[in-house]
This record gives sequence, C-alpha cells and structure tokens, in this order.
Amino acid sequence: MKLYEHEALGAIFKKYKIPVPRYVFSAEMNDAVRQFVEKEPGVVIKSMVLVGKRGKAGAVKVVSDKSQVEKVFSDLATRDVYGEKSIGALVEEKLDIEKEFYLSVTYSTKDRAPAIIFSEHGGMDVEEIDPKLIHTYVVSDVRSIYPYQIRQFLVGIGFSDKELLRPLSEVIVNVYNAFWGSESRLLEINPLVVARSGDKRKIVAADAVVILDDDASVNPAVVYGARSAQGRPLTQREQDAILIDQGDHRGKAGSYVELEGDIAMMTFGGGGSTVTAETAIEAGLRIANLTDIGGNPPAEKMYRISRIILSKPGLKGVLVCGGTASNTRIDVTLGEGLAKALDDMNAEGKLDKNLVWVVRRSGPEYVKGLKMLHECFVRNGIRGEIYDSQLPITEAPIRLKELMIKHIGYKPEQVV
Amino acid sequence: MKGTVYLNDKTGIVVIGATGREASQVIKESESLYPGIVKAGITPGKGGSTELPVPVFDTLKEAVSDPKVGKLLNTALIYVPPVSVLDAVMECLDNGIKVLYIITEHVPIRDSEIIYQEKVRRGAIIVGGTSLGCFVPSVGRIGAIGGKDPSVAFRDGGIVVISKSGGLTVTTAEMFRRRGWGTYMALAIGGDIISNNTYADVLKEIKGDPRVKGVVMLGEPGGSYEEQVADLILSGGFDKPVAAFISGRFQERMPEGVAFGHAGAIVERGMGKATDKIARLEAAGKRYPVKVAFYYHDLVKTIESLGVPRDFEDSTTEHVKPLYSTF
Repeated sequence: MKLYEHEALGAIFKKYKIPVPRYVFSAEMNDAVRQFVEKEPGVVIKSMVLVGKRGKAGAVKVVSDKSQVEKVFSDLATRDVYGEKSIGALVEEKLDIEKEFYLSVTYSTKDRAPAIIFSEHGGMDVEEIDPKLIHTYVVSDVRSIYPYQIRQFLVGIGFSDKELLRPLSEVIVNVYNAFWGSESRLLEINPLVVARSGDKRKIVAADAVVILDDDASVNPAVVYGARSAQGRPLTQREQDAILIDQGDHRGKAGSYVELEGDIAMMTFGGGGSTVTAETAIEAGLRIANLTDIGGNPPAEKMYRISRIILSKPGLKGVLVCGGTASNTRIDVTLGEGLAKALDDMNAEGKLDKNLVWVVRRSGPEYVKGLKMLHECFVRNGIRGEIYDSQLPITEAPIRLKELMIKHIGYKPEQVV
Repeated sequence: MKGTVYLNDKTGIVVIGATGREASQVIKESESLYPGIVKAGITPGKGGSTELPVPVFDTLKEAVSDPKVGKLLNTALIYVPPVSVLDAVMECLDNGIKVLYIITEHVPIRDSEIIYQEKVRRGAIIVGGTSLGCFVPSVGRIGAIGGKDPSVAFRDGGIVVISKSGGLTVTTAEMFRRRGWGTYMALAIGGDIISNNTYADVLKEIKGDPRVKGVVMLGEPGGSYEEQVADLILSGGFDKPVAAFISGRFQERMPEGVAFGHAGAIVERGMGKATDKIARLEAAGKRYPVKVAFYYHDLVKTIESLGVPRDFEDSTTEHVKPLYSTF
C-alpha cells in the first residue's frame, strides 16, 4: 500500500531519523499553513496524491512571492493530478539545492535480497537516468548493516564528493533501516538533495515514496485506512468487498477491483483469475471487474461477493470461472453461496434476466455444486451454460463471447 | 532414488501446524491416497493428541527424537499463520529438516527475506510461501495439490509443471492429462516476491533426470524469475523442451500498481512486464527448444510442437458440450 508523502514523513522518516525539510500538511488553507509560510523565505507546495510524476503535471510549485501562496495552495490542494483528486497540499521550506541524488531501497528478485539503489544523478525520473550511472548495493546479509559498508560501496562506484561520505552513508543506513523496520516493499527518495544552509551543507530527503507490504506483520490498511492502488477513491462496492474478509480468515472473497466494462468476472484463484481475465480481454470482452476468490471461503462470503459483483450497473454477461480447485468446495461456493444470492436478488426484483452466463468450474464436490447451480438457473430463469473441466479454463471466456454475440448481439472490442 | 529432490520414495513428512482446519484435512487425505507418507504432526499444546492418523507432538525436537518416527522425518509441510511462518521455518532448520514447503499465504516479505537468507546459509530446499505443494504421481503427494481425487488431473508421465499458481498447477496437469500427457512432477512454487525456489532453481535440480520429457512453465508479471529461466537456458543450463505461458499482458493496459493475483505479480516502475518476459523467453527459443503460448490453452499445441511425446492417448472429443444449458 502506497503512503501519501506527508504520511511517510510523519510516520516513517521521522522515526528513522531521515532528514526532511520543515513542512506542514493541510487539506485546506488554515492558520497553521499561514504561520508556517510567514516564517519561511520561500516554500514548495505539492499536491498530495498517490500518483507519481507530480512535477510533470504541474502539481509541485515553488512560491517565493507570499501573496501567491493562498492561490497556489488552494489550486494544488484540490486539483486532479492524472485523474486522481488531491487530498490536500504539503507545504515545505524551499531548500537551497546544490545537487540532487537518487536513492531507493526495494527487493531485487534477481538477488532475492533488499537492494539499495543510488545515483549521483537524481532529480529526474529514474527511468530517464542513464543506467550506467545507477548503482546497486545488495544487502545479502540482513542481520546487520553498517555505514562503513555503504562507504565502501560509494568509494567503489567513484562517488565524487568525499566530504559527504560519512553523512551520506549514515543517511543511507537510516533509509535502509526505515525500509526494513517499516516493512516496506519500496522506499524511494528522489531527489535526495544536498542543500546549502549558511556555510554548511546538509543532506535532505526532498521527496518520499513509501509502498508498504500489504502482508506486513501490522496490516497497513488498518493503520492508514484502505485505499485503491489505482489512484482513485475506492468505489462503494470495492469498500463493501473489503469488509467481507475482515475478521474472518476462512478463504478469501473480498478482492474486487472495478473497471469500465459490461462483463462481470467471478473468477477463482490468483493464477486462474489472471489467465481468465487475460483471455477475456484478448477475446474482446470488456470486463467490469476483477476478482480473485479462493482458499475455500464459506457460503456467506460467496453470497456477499456475488451480490456485489452482480449489482454493478450496465452488465451484459457473467463469467464464473475457475480451474480444478484442490480445496475450495464447489457445492458450498457455487451451489450454496452464489445460488442463494441469485435466489434473493430475484425475489427482490434485482436480477437482470437478460444476462448471459457461462460457468466453468471443477474441484471438490463439483458434480453436486454444478447441479445445484443449474437448478438455481432453472428456477430463476437465468440463461447460461455450465461446464466442468472438460472445457479448458481459458476457452470459457471465448464461449461466453460466442453466446453473447448469438443471443444479445454483443459487439466485442476489436483487439489488435 | 525414485522421484525428485522435492518428493521421492524416501520422503517422510512432518506437518507443522498439523491440527488446523486445512492441515488436518490434508493429512487425512494424504493418508488415504499415499498411506504412511505423512509421519507426524506438530501443534504446540496438542502433543499426544489422537485426533489425526499420525502422532502429534508439541515440538519438532520431540518428533525428531521419537524412536518410531524420528529418523523418517526429512520434509516439513508448514501450515501455520503468516506471522508464525518464520518461527516454524527456523524450528525445522534447527532440527535438521532440509526440505520445507511453506503453504501459508501472505507471509510478510521481510520474514520471507530472512527465511531465504537462512535457507542459503544452511543449504536447505524451501518451496513457497504460497505453495500448494508437490505431486509426483509415481511416488506421492505433498500438500493439498489435486484435492481429494487427484486422478482427475494427475497421471504418471513425462511432463513437469512448474507454476506460481497452485490452482493452475492442477488445472494445467488436467488439461494435459486429457490430451495424452501425464505428469512426472507438478510443483507449485508460489507467487511471493521473494521466492525460495524459483523456476530456474527447479530446472537446475531436474536437468539430469531422464524421466523429464518436457517442462510446462506458468509465469506471471512482476519480478524477474521468468527472465532467469531465459538466462539459464541461454547459458546452456537446461536444454529440454520448455513450453511457457506468461499471464498478465492485460495488466499493462491498466494503471501501474494495480495489485491483482499474487503478491509478487505487480509491475512497478516498468519492471517485470509480461511482454518483456515473453520477449526474453522467445529470444532463448531461437537457439533452444523454448516456446511461449499466446493463449493459456495453446500450451498443449506448444508442447506437441516441441516434439514432447504423448504418454497415452488423447481422450478429448472435438467439441466440448456443456453439462447443462438453460438456453
């Protein structure tokens, strides 16, 4: 889960003694912001959004003329950045920047270890830095890391500013400790600046990107509130879906992401869901959501996610698709959970009978489960085909496309 | 030895977290499919319990010292909650268990990293986290892979299936079984960011095994484990036929950072794209028998085109009819 910059500064950078500019965050212009600005000769104002490349979108502005602060603040605190609405603005002291470095810590799957990535040529997007100027220090023993190791690394890459060796090595170790201690999967500072302060120089983190491990020992969604990774607020149905798995570890049914489309995807398993969604898109179906149900959830969870999936407006087809489950009970998930959702929705007049369904599923008690679902289709007047694993899993979306073209004149996307 | 280093005729399993809901079901199923393969279970506080068909101990130390089963234990199957996995792994390594399967999902990455570094130091084999286990039809099964009736998916043959996804491991074995290819080994390596046992690790272990006729590899976006296979093959480290399918091309049309599927299946800052992985494997395919299937179900055609011989007859019919239709 990605943190907003002010959250990273307040909760993590401070704790691990990573030097940052003086700052204040606010959702709207208030006295705290005014008092802060009063004391600073100049400020930098940033829109608080999760999306990156804010500078290029004009969402980071340097303001030296104090009469402009209110106007700039109100604009940046409320504007859309690449479609994501700002939740407020961060106001920071304007630093007297001498140079800009790039620093990040992340997991390298090449080394299967944390990697400290450093470049003397920061300030631009990391993709734009010449790869020859980017250097990596792999932490191959996570039991201990000392600044001397970082100094050896810096000397080894020909780091040009010897005077900074000690302070920089100490900051880098603090940044690594912040990454490790906060259970991040990415901690990025771009730029890490060298700023003049009177006749002294200091190292300051002028940006803070932190992505926490969603599986961290302390769940970040509990600490910081659940948020969409898509740079938009969660929809009501997405929020409702998250609640399904809270406080109930039996299986997983609450992973639900909405897209703009007309095919409801009730898919099972991490891999199975991905290949099914993939094939559906390649076949020209416009998918309305992604789900990833698994781990043998009880009927109650299936009931709730089924209702959420089917309540999205504008649906034309439904694909219920999973591989051959090893422990997810098909009678419980489809025969009980899904079937009851359909019965109840029909009784409440909320079931769209024009939907075209394809079901493809196998696993424990699938004969019973698919028969129960068929009976449910019959009593509720639902149109569809039900397959077991004789139909290869990824042929199911293709079959749905054929049926929708035949029965409702569906016009698939032309995929190149 | 019959089988592989992951699962062979000497394998003796101890289940850590044995009396939990999933683990106890797996032990009972394993006992009916391959009697005697599971030797013991560990649940602190449940030592001496008779609720399982195998003896239960409070600690692994007691189990390995037990005169009846102690010497037979060499493989651990870990079914504890995510935050207890590191502890369970250390208990296994410190008690001399050298092959471990972590079935638990959502292990904190930091713990996975500590586990990986310990594994390297101790020279152990660890599969997972988020593994579903291993199946070698000629020898036995570890974990729930294949469920109560694995014969639907698994029949002895020459294909090795390696997948991050447990579900797709079984689904793929079944797709091939219906078309005439049996499984020599199916291994669900898990989709975590820090994988203790990557595709390349598996290929290195099985490269000299004459029973391996071809490999089916199911990859995902994120990380670089699929690319490592291309590197291994290009360096001459594996020369048998490999049919790959890399899912997740569609993710590239979505906003960056959309987390879907496995923990490791996330593309960040342009790294780990499915299309890049496909390109790397296809490049290896210019000199070695490696092919990438466009659709998942094209894997069957791919294995066929690589010349991997069928183990038995194709049992499918031209057109699959639905079990039920309400049109």
